[in-house]
Amino acid sequence: MKITLNGKIIEAKQGQTIFQAARDNGIYIPTLCYHEKTGPAGKCRACVVEVEGMRGLQTSCSVLAKDGMVVTSNSENVLDAQRLVVDLLLSTGRHNCLSCEKNGNCDLQKAAYYLGIEVGSFQYADMKPDIDDSSEFIQIDRSKCISCGRCIAACNNVVVNNVLNFGYRGHETQIVFDTNLPMGGSSCVQCGECSQLCPVGAIIDKRAVGKGREWEFDKVETICPYCGVGCNLELNVDRKTNSIVKIRGVEDAPTNEGMLCVKGRYGFDFVGSDERLTTPLIKDADGEFREASWEEATDLIVEKLSFIRDTYGPDTIMGLTSAKATNEENYTFQKLIRTALKTNNVDHCARL
Amino acid sequence: MVTKQMFSAINKVMQKYPDKESALLPALTIVQKGNNNSLTNDDIKEISSFFGISMSKVYGVATHYTMYNINKKVGKYHLQVDTNIPGTLMGAREILKHLEEILGIKVGQTTNDGLFTLSSVECLASCGTCPVIQVNDVYYENMTNEKVDKLIESLRKGVMPEQNIEYFYGTECNALFKNRGLKNSTSLEVYKKNGGYKALAKARTLTPSDILKEVKDSNIRGRGGAGFPTGIKWGFLPKNNKKPVYLICNADEGEPGTFKDRQIMEYDPHLLIEGMTIAALAIGAKNLFIYIRGEFGWIADILENAIKEAKDDGLLQDINIIVHRGAGAYVCGEETALIESIEGKRGQPRMKPPFPAVEGLYRCPTIVNNVETLASLPYIIENGAEVFKKFGFEGNYGFKLFGVSGGVNKPGVYECPMGISFNKLIEMAGGVKGNLKAAIVGGLSTAILKPDELKDLDMDYDSCAEHGTALGSGGVMVITDEFSIPELALRTIEFYAHESCGQCVPCKEGTYVIVQSLKKLLAGHGKQKDIDNILFVVNNVSGLTLCPVGDAYSIPIKSMINKFRDEFEALIK
Repeated sequence: MKITLNGKIIEAKQGQTIFQAARDNGIYIPTLCYHEKTGPAGKCRACVVEVEGMRGLQTSCSVLAKDGMVVTSNSENVLDAQRLVVDLLLSTGRHNCLSCEKNGNCDLQKAAYYLGIEVGSFQYADMKPDIDDSSEFIQIDRSKCISCGRCIAACNNVVVNNVLNFGYRGHETQIVFDTNLPMGGSSCVQCGECSQLCPVGAIIDKRAVGKGREWEFDKVETICPYCGVGCNLELNVDRKTNSIVKIRGVEDAPTNEGMLCVKGRYGFDFVGSDERLTTPLIKDADGEFREASWEEATDLIVEKLSFIRDTYGPDTIMGLTSAKATNEENYTFQKLIRTALKTNNVDHCARL
Repeated sequence: MVTKQMFSAINKVMQKYPDKESALLPALTIVQKGNNNSLTNDDIKEISSFFGISMSKVYGVATHYTMYNINKKVGKYHLQVDTNIPGTLMGAREILKHLEEILGIKVGQTTNDGLFTLSSVECLASCGTCPVIQVNDVYYENMTNEKVDKLIESLRKGVMPEQNIEYFYGTECNALFKNRGLKNSTSLEVYKKNGGYKALAKARTLTPSDILKEVKDSNIRGRGGAGFPTGIKWGFLPKNNKKPVYLICNADEGEPGTFKDRQIMEYDPHLLIEGMTIAALAIGAKNLFIYIRGEFGWIADILENAIKEAKDDGLLQDINIIVHRGAGAYVCGEETALIESIEGKRGQPRMKPPFPAVEGLYRCPTIVNNVETLASLPYIIENGAEVFKKFGFEGNYGFKLFGVSGGVNKPGVYECPMGISFNKLIEMAGGVKGNLKAAIVGGLSTAILKPDELKDLDMDYDSCAEHGTALGSGGVMVITDEFSIPELALRTIEFYAHESCGQCVPCKEGTYVIVQSLKKLLAGHGKQKDIDNILFVVNNVSGLTLCPVGDAYSIPIKSMINKFRDEFEALIK
């Protein structure tokens, strides 16, 4: 079907909202509380548009596109309403892009840029940071929170950990963990979905603080090595130091839709660790490990295992494999144990 | 601590509801009452595991409503003075100051002996009888400094004095107020003796569509404030619906200046019950709710007694009426926030569509009507739409309760035909006490009017609209020349800032920045830019929020600045 947006006829798919149709046609409408995964919340009011035949302003995130609909997102009336929303947020929060981790990837910054707002016009009180640093991997700064509710919807409806909610009301509204406990002392398992969905710099990955801005990282997509689910990761790699700075879930991946667990999102220290084994090690007669080649190591394993199988019988051997290996690797491993070593003593750590 | 008795009381309440989570607000109330009027994190944890819901959900609910004291010790007697606009106009600030002096504490503090906590609170729907002090669950109205001294003296001895309720009232129609003034007017016996439940008996002989037709023909418009035609609202219920239909009576009377619904519930509860039962027959509802503001605890008791009487008398047959008490949130007067609140959630308005008639309580078709609207139905059914339409005129039919507060000699509730002149109404209320400066005639969310606009104003939808305001809930607040409009504007916006649910940015932060701007102006540090800022907000908020609260706060502030601009500009030095 076709709708008219700002005088231009664009294609919209059945079931799409005005916002989705605009986005797919490359037309920007500011939005803060909407996320594809959490759906329309209708709260920020930044995405309002005018629709012919409908009274007042409509939130484009919630109104479905209809064939022949005539929508305006760039009239002065609409832009003033959008400016009011963004201006109020800039005025009532501590938003300083210069030092913010979210610089370059912030929905509020994007909206302010689009609407031409440099600083908020209603600044009446000095704002101090309101930081909760109690969690190991995630940092909260409530002075930057815009109460969009994406983290709450993510926690309760996406990953269903049910830790976050809004507490209090009006200007005092804030996100709370359990009974308003520090994040680190709450039942949060640090899956980081809240950080993944936060549109501003209020919920950030702590270990990435000060390690560079969004545009400085190479994005490398890969598969999480921790278990067999196969979650898609987007590594943010700093090429200067050749290190991973942070990891985000890939939103359009069918396996995990952006969701990750604490290990997948935050357990990447091992990649660049000095203690990481990079070659096989063989323990010599003096009891010390020495570096060896793969050929030497596999020859030794074949020799020793064959000797044990032939001397003491196959059932004196068992194989235990790891959840960090892929399904295919696990299959190959059990094949090896059963056919080459001739025992059914094979198991997997995920059963423990 | 949540004791075994409390759990069993909660369990009992749960059984009343189709969904047990609806018992969350009652549960919090039960536990708070049993723990010296406050709740701890441990209480919340225990309640959440009892309900099988997350701690943050319970915490979020508990902190949304002002009547819950979370991790906050309050004195044995919590003195809550309503300082909203009617209170301010009628001396509440002086009462508050007097209390601060005699108790030796400031607002928000508790006396060292732990006996008294003093709070300034929002409208208690006691506008005609301000100043009012709510002590724990009990209202003490028409307070003077002498009465305050006596009250405190008695409380120090551990005695809660008897509630002494004296209202001014009057009627020109003898419809909603026909039993007003009768002895034991709340009893079934008196109600029946005076002709009560005849309309219900008649309704039982009619088909649902006959009742609907009569209500549609009467053209009665909702009396809660929006004025939407009741019959048309009922007509939005889906046809061939298989789900249960719910009827909710909105008794969350919280619009400052409005104190009319309590007159019906407090003195003639059977009139409301009869009206609700008639409505239920028309729309096919079996489970009915009365959502009453939590502060009206004793009125909720009156209703529950009356429901029991009617049920025992066989009048309700298979219809159940549940009285659900709110816990302090103005926004729950908005029908979808009210529905959320009955479901045991934070009182936050929903996105619409779907509208409640299609998807409301428990996602089932739901009709929400105001107390006065429902209480008007027995008259319409008994006498017929045509007789009802003898009051008022086209588009504005019927009788209406008007609450008059502020600077008048006999503040109270007056029942008049629609279209009565403003002057006549003020005359009924004993005339203006002092020099008339302005009036707000439809509850606080409507535009203020100056004397020259008031002189030919009639109290009906059309005349109010022609005068640039709205009839709203019919809450008239008379302002005399003792008061500064910028100060009233600050108190007005403080109310909305306090009551904003916090969902929409333009409401949550818009009210906050206007409070800051006005405080700055009133402190003598203001600049022209501060006035411009306020105007930029109020000029752009209309229609920009999920629920009508955005309009509700911007309309009065905009009109106050536009009509009394000189007073605001005089603050700039």
